[in-house]
This record gives sequence, structure tokens and C-alpha cells, in this order.
Amino acid sequence: MLNEEKVILMTKLASYEETEGKQNEKIGNYFRGDYLTVEVLKSLLYGTIAFVLGFGLYILYDFDVFMEDIYRLDIFTFAQNILTYYVIALIVYAVITFLVYSFRYTGTRKKLKRYYHNLKKLSMLYQKK
Amino acid sequence: MTKLLEIREQIKIMLNRYEAFIFPVGKFLLAFFALSMINGRMGYMNRLDNMALVLIVALTCSFLPMGSMVFFGAIFSLAHMYALSLEVLLVGVCVYLIIFVLFFRFGPKDSLVVLLTPLLFCMKIPYVMPVALGLIGGPASAVTMGCGILVYYLNHAVVENGTRIIALGSEEAVAKIRMVLDAGVLNKEIFIVIAAFSITMLVVWFLRRMSMEYAWTIAIVSGALLNIVILMMGDLMFDTNISVLGTILGSIVAVGVGKVIEFFKFFVDYRRTEKVQFEDDEYYYYVKAVPKITVATPAKTVKHINSATAASRSVTTERTARSASSAAATRSSGRTGGSSVQDSRRSNVKNQPVNKGKSVTINGQMTSSRKESEVDFEEIF
Repeated sequence: MLNEEKVILMTKLASYEETEGKQNEKIGNYFRGDYLTVEVLKSLLYGTIAFVLGFGLYILYDFDVFMEDIYRLDIFTFAQNILTYYVIALIVYAVITFLVYSFRYTGTRKKLKRYYHNLKKLSMLYQKK
Repeated sequence: MTKLLEIREQIKIMLNRYEAFIFPVGKFLLAFFALSMINGRMGYMNRLDNMALVLIVALTCSFLPMGSMVFFGAIFSLAHMYALSLEVLLVGVCVYLIIFVLFFRFGPKDSLVVLLTPLLFCMKIPYVMPVALGLIGGPASAVTMGCGILVYYLNHAVVENGTRIIALGSEEAVAKIRMVLDAGVLNKEIFIVIAAFSITMLVVWFLRRMSMEYAWTIAIVSGALLNIVILMMGDLMFDTNISVLGTILGSIVAVGVGKVIEFFKFFVDYRRTEKVQFEDDEYYYYVKAVPKITVATPAKTVKHINSATAASRSVTTERTARSASSAAATRSSGRTGGSSVQDSRRSNVKNQPVNKGKSVTINGQMTSSRKESEVDFEEIF
């Protein structure tokens, strides 16, 4: 005989596993601190790439002026300014990353908790039989 | 209203039933529309402006993930930029890479938004996007919407300055880059639009989640109004030449689209709201329950004509056998079973008084359901 409750539960579980289950399980393997550290580090890397691209465009935008001024330029001050912008941009980006991913982590943990609860329920149904 | 609700249920059922066909076809149409629009607006590379190629790519997108549409859209756009000028391509690649690296990791699932936002801009109704996203998305969608706005303005800048870029010689590389960056990235209008749309989206999202009555309608209308106000303020402050009439008309369309989304996603009856209060060992619960407005789809009753026919046929065959034997006796002709059936039926209809008692059932069928008896006759004759 088909157990309707069991079938519904198994469908729910399979559907979750098919969609976001695998991804969520990966996230669930991390401790909160580790997960956020990894994501923030990734953001620092991506942020650096984006900053380099942006800086390249900035130089290209005023390339002729930049080339004219390059010998009169105080390289140390220029580098210091660029570095300040870089650090500020990375800090802002890291904070945004931290907020978004901590929110995401909490949500994922909740979903995983529900998933494991359903698994336990299914196991109980089997034991009952 | 009941009719509308019935239609809604039928649409839902149809979407569920034919999901395997509807989604690929939808993806194909969207990809085809997007790529055709890119070709139509930019069209600098003649080899890409080819219907067969667009069809093949759109068909490929129909069975690939949603992100593929964005990827092919970016490739088409960059190819047109390359055909225009190498410097424009350089700017395009840098901007797309920055978008990809910085923002896409926050909302890779929302990749469709990056494609839909420029499309809505081209259709002159971009105001739909913040309202719709506020209703169906989350706060992170604001990032992808911002990327979509940037993509549109970059491509728009390339199209607007296309002839001027062509006119500039190859020695004017920096001027070309500056022209595209000024119009497509460092334009004040872009920042105003991104700010207005993001604030609108967040306000709509925030309001529609509140437990007040008519929260969705309030969110839609206030979002649209807020959008108009911010855009107009930005226009006054920075003189960005945003069309007042276009903004108002677009916002009206946005309200309409928002109401359609509400009808499909959150259609509730506030008049039947129930407020209950109870407690357990740890908490007091104040629960507000708002019932959804639903209607059962009219169940289609399928009458199996064949079974009725079979029943009547058995009656007729029995009758036929008898009348055939009598007919055979009177006419003394040796006919086959099939033709005798026809004959007997005719004799039944024609000679009703003779077989009155038996033909009552046939007449009864004819009067109760005309079609049924028609089919019955058709099959027999």
C-alpha cells in the first residue's frame, strides 16, 4: 500500500535536493565564521580585479593628460591616493559581502534544519512500519 | 471576478501541465527578441545581423540555463562594439568584467534581470522593473537591476555616439574612450536612475511584506509615486532631461503590471481577515490570517460516448437480429450481418409502431442527448 504522507515527504525532500539542496549542503558544511571569511576573501580578490580594471579605465580616460603630467607627478603621493581609494573600496565591498553572506548563511541553515527534520520524520515513518 | 479567477487557475494548471514545452519556448522567444533588439539597435557587425544565426543562438539558449542568454547577449553586444571600434570594445569588456566580477556573485540567479532591464528600457517602460522586482524579488535584486541599467546606458551611449566614433580617426583613440565613458558610465542620469530604481525596489519590497491591509497595492502605488518623485528631483538638481510625461505614463504601466503580479501571487480577501490570540507555555500568539481568494476550476465532465454506444449497440444488435430474421423471412434475401444491422435500424425507425416497445429506449436516448444518439446513428449507418 502507498503511504501518502511518506510519498509527500519524499517528494518534498527530492525537490529540495534537486534545486538548492546541493549548494546549501556545501554552505552547511562550513562554520559561520569560516564561511564568511572565505566569501570575504573571495570578495577581496574580485574587488582587486575590479579595481585594477576601473583604474585602467581611469588612466585611459585621461591618458594624454596623464602622459603629459607623468614626469611632473609626485609618484609617492599619487600611489598613496590610489592605495587609499583601493582600501576604502575594498572595505566597503567586504562589508557588503559580509552582510549579504551572513544573511544568506542564516537562511540556508534554516532550510537545512527543515530538511534534516523532514529526513528524521521520514526515517520515523520507516521505523513505524 | 470569478471568471478572472477561473482563468488564473486554468493558466496555472496549463503552466504546470505543459511546463516542459512552455519554458523552453519562452526562453527561445526571449532570447530571439533580445538578440534581434541588440542587432536592430547596434547592427555594426553585418555578419551578426543574420536571422539564421539569431535563430540558432536563440534555439541554443532555449535548452541552456538562463545565464546563457545574458552571455550571448554580451557577446553580441561586444561584437558590435568591436566592429565599431577597438577602443569601444576595450571599454565594453572592462565594464562587463567589472559587472561580472563585482555584482554577479551576489545574485547569479537574477541574471535574467540584467537582460530584461535593458529590454524594458528599449520598450520605454523601465519603471516596471523596480515595482515588479520589489514584488517578486529580494533586496539583492537591486544589485542586478543596477547592472542592467548600466548595461543599457553603455549600449545606448555606443549607439548614440556611433557616427561620431566612426568619424574620429584611429589616432583619436583616447577621445573615443572618453566619449563612451562620459555618455555610458559617468553620466549623472545613470546614477539618478540607479538610485531611484533601487530605492523604489527596496520600498516596494519593504511595504509588501508588512502585515497591514492592502499592503501589496500600497507598495505598488507608493513605489511608482516615489520613483516619479526621485527621478523628477534628480532631473531638477542635475538637469538630466528625463521626460516627465514618459515617466508618468511608464509608472502607470508599472502599476498595471504590479496589479497583474499581485493578482497571480497575492490575491487575498481582507474582508474575511481573522485575528486570533492564543498562548502556550512560552509565548502569546497574535495571529492575523487573511484568506486567499481562490476558485475551483470548473471540472470538465467527459461523457464516454463509446460506452453508451456500446450499450445501445448491444440493444440494437439484439433487436437487429430479431428484425433481420423477420426481414429475411419476409424478403427471403440472404444478407450479411453488417447490412442487416443497417436494415434493421431503418426498419426500427420507419416501423416504429411495429417495434414500439423496443424502440422506446432509442427514442429516449435521442431526446435526452441528441448528440449521443446522432453518433450512435452515424456509427451504425
